[in-house]
Amino acid sequence: MSSSEKKFENKVVIVTGASRGIGKAVAVGFGSQGARIAINYKSNKDAAQETAQLVEQAGGKALLFQADISSRIDCEKLLEQVVAKWETVHILVNNAGVAKDGLVMGLDENDWDAVIKTNLDGTVFLSKAVLPYMMMQKYGRIINISSVSAGNGRRGQGAYSSSKGAVEAFTRVLALEVAPKNITVNAIAPGMVETDMSDLVRGLANKQILAQIPVGRYAKPEDVADSVLFLASDKASYITGQVIRVDGGITLGIGI
Amino acid sequence: MLTKDEVYSKVTDCLVDALGVDEDEVSPDATLTGDLGAESIDFLDIVFRLEKSFGIKIPRGGLFLENILSNPEFVKDGRVTEKGLQELREKMPHLDIDKFAKEPNVNNFADLFTVEMLVNYVSTKLN
Repeated sequence: MSSSEKKFENKVVIVTGASRGIGKAVAVGFGSQGARIAINYKSNKDAAQETAQLVEQAGGKALLFQADISSRIDCEKLLEQVVAKWETVHILVNNAGVAKDGLVMGLDENDWDAVIKTNLDGTVFLSKAVLPYMMMQKYGRIINISSVSAGNGRRGQGAYSSSKGAVEAFTRVLALEVAPKNITVNAIAPGMVETDMSDLVRGLANKQILAQIPVGRYAKPEDVADSVLFLASDKASYITGQVIRVDGGITLGIGI
Repeated sequence: MLTKDEVYSKVTDCLVDALGVDEDEVSPDATLTGDLGAESIDFLDIVFRLEKSFGIKIPRGGLFLENILSNPEFVKDGRVTEKGLQELREKMPHLDIDKFAKEPNVNNFADLFTVEMLVNYVSTKLN
């Protein structure tokens, strides 16, 4: 690919939870368009390094930044470190997420806290931290990874669905607040994606799930990454506060 | 040490960048909201730009109002009470509260936030 085709040449992109799954595909996607990617990981440094390698091979630049997104202090530290290296941030992809499933009646408070702190607090406080830089340069793209679970309940996903529903509400409010500064804020709600997170459920109910997906296959992380790259591109500059479902149509039917 | 003119010039640059106004619209007595069209998000923008431009730290609520006027103790029937005025004098010494106290209608409050006020605030910080 020639450099003139690289849509995100030198853009600084933070991707949280980029060591695997959707975050990894998003990082590599931006890498293929010439971006500088801050690859955030919590504990799996080897996997993060592999993502970095793939980013470099794809034509981008990559640096690793360890941070626990559920910690507000870590979020601020992460931002400080990225800015110390690359001076600013153009695009933030709030992807880091955890799921701790179980029926609400048996809800463990620690599980609830872990899910809300990572999925919701992390999204909120990292967004807050990048905004001054985006505002000063009059350009920014924030893309939050939600889930179809935000709009369509799944048994056992009280914490996860709640966190993603709140992320979508937050997406709309923040989009309203920062629109005058040429910052857009959108969310992607993936359906069933072939990642480690969905491994178990796909293993347990493969046929039943596939039967509910009109396109007849699971999403690949790259399917989600393509939509993230679109929302970050100039082609999407008039789209803000939206949730785009990348779900193969799983939320269209009534499940019978 | 910057002269007052130099501070004024840099404050003007910040306002031009944050608000997208022309330089000649910025004058010492121009009000940020009434004359220069600033909205709530712009106040944060201005704070960040001043911090960066002058290398100063402006505490949250230190320059612009946070929640003082939403306290029912401080506002009655659309007017700032004596207690509210006292609070403003303490929390926002860079504002000309004496002038405001002559007609303490909350609708007049935004007029205290002028370009000159910003220049004075920054000059005090720098000293």
